[in-house]
Amino acid sequence: MKFIKKTIPLLIVLVVGVLTLASYYVPHKYSVDYLELMNKWENIVSAFAFLLGLISLFYTHYSKISRKVDGWGYSIFVYIGFFAMVIPAIVCHGKQMSDTGQTALGWAFGFIYNPLSATMFAVLAFYIVSTAYRSFRIKSPQAFVLFLAAFILILGKVPLGQIIWHSALGWTGQGVDQVIEWIMSVPAVAGKRGIMIGIAIGAVVTSLKIIFGIEKQYMGKD
Amino acid sequence: MLKEKLQKFFKIDRRWIFLLLAVVIFIPILKPIGLPNKTISRDAQNAFNFMDSLKPGQFVLFSLDYDPSTRPELQPQAVAAIRHAFKKNLRVGVVTYIAGSTGLIQQIFEKVPAEYGKKNGTDYVIFPYMANPTAAMTQMASDIYGIYDRDQDGKDAKSLPVMKGIRNYKDMALVVNITGTAMLDSWVAFVGDKYNVPVFGGVTAISQPGYGPYLQTGQLKGLIGGMKGAAEYESLIQEPGKGTSGIDSLNLAHLLVLVLILTSNILLLVIRYL
Repeated sequence: MKFIKKTIPLLIVLVVGVLTLASYYVPHKYSVDYLELMNKWENIVSAFAFLLGLISLFYTHYSKISRKVDGWGYSIFVYIGFFAMVIPAIVCHGKQMSDTGQTALGWAFGFIYNPLSATMFAVLAFYIVSTAYRSFRIKSPQAFVLFLAAFILILGKVPLGQIIWHSALGWTGQGVDQVIEWIMSVPAVAGKRGIMIGIAIGAVVTSLKIIFGIEKQYMGKD
Repeated sequence: MLKEKLQKFFKIDRRWIFLLLAVVIFIPILKPIGLPNKTISRDAQNAFNFMDSLKPGQFVLFSLDYDPSTRPELQPQAVAAIRHAFKKNLRVGVVTYIAGSTGLIQQIFEKVPAEYGKKNGTDYVIFPYMANPTAAMTQMASDIYGIYDRDQDGKDAKSLPVMKGIRNYKDMALVVNITGTAMLDSWVAFVGDKYNVPVFGGVTAISQPGYGPYLQTGQLKGLIGGMKGAAEYESLIQEPGKGTSGIDSLNLAHLLVLVLILTSNILLLVIRYL
């Protein structure tokens, strides 16, 4: 049993991992063919992952509704939202426009999905502004540096800010765009590059640990 | 006494702030201020220059990966870049790896190509949504038809005039990725760097600072950032659009954020030293 549940999956990961890694560096027909085959498999597996996710989503919300847990009414909207988009998509064969004009899917996209999705994101702006007022406290030199950088970037991103900068600090000879350019290409890049190198090294190490069977948590507890 | 009064300002009902922001955003929509965007960022200029240097007939692959949540910032960028490509008589291919993007792509191509007399299948092609970006990106390196054998209307992709002579990245002059996700990193790592394909991007203003390292090393040929980036690109192609008009609303909203942060910190200082 252990051979089927542990050894075979680990061997598959090892073989596929090493071959995929090697094919990245070997420009040969075999490696290209192998990558093409893997891409097809990846797409098929992704489709099943979608299906699994959908079943899990439905099951979770069905369970919430049947047990009438707090906020169970929201779970009904998961089904309403899902079917409001999927039924028109099936009926219209995924087409949003036809020769006669907009299809039901086009309408659902334009008048259900589009405004709902945009509203969800737009609401964030209100919370950000409110939080900026309540929580952005300059209590340390580091916070002051952060504030200064944010102040210049926010100001320089709009024409009105550029006009204000020019009126107040035009005598320095430095345009706000030049200052932003410096912030973006020196301190911001330095910080970001450090983070990226750290993440990349971490990803390489974790990948190698998975390929060589040192990291096995993805296989579950059994 | 004064201290207590000032402290009340911190406990102000946040709905007042919401209302203030709503007013500040709506006023310019109802009555545009119309301030000109005087500066063009280096990265937007570089993106424009690269596209502008391409020869008519060359193939540009657009990967439009955003949904309605980031539409106000990214759709104007996509429209401006596609307009530029059509103006330059470039051939355009469109892919997407975000399901919500398909309707937005449809909206662009219902209107823009007709303005330049461009035809589906001859001057541009829209490929269907694919769920797995890395697999599609890698596949297109050897044979694009291995993954996109048909366009979104079900026509045989290989036989379309727009795809003549196009088999993989070697036949493409540029990849443009406009995204509200981290997809641009994948385009740089899996396509730009590995297959030596020029890539430029369009991202939301909040993600823009993160792409500095790629711009410095030349891994990205340029970057359009947020609504301001869209307005810049529109002014470069001399076609004002939603980016230019949207920047009006940002004017007052940005200043409101600054005023609120300054006010709260000044109040804090006064309270501390009273």
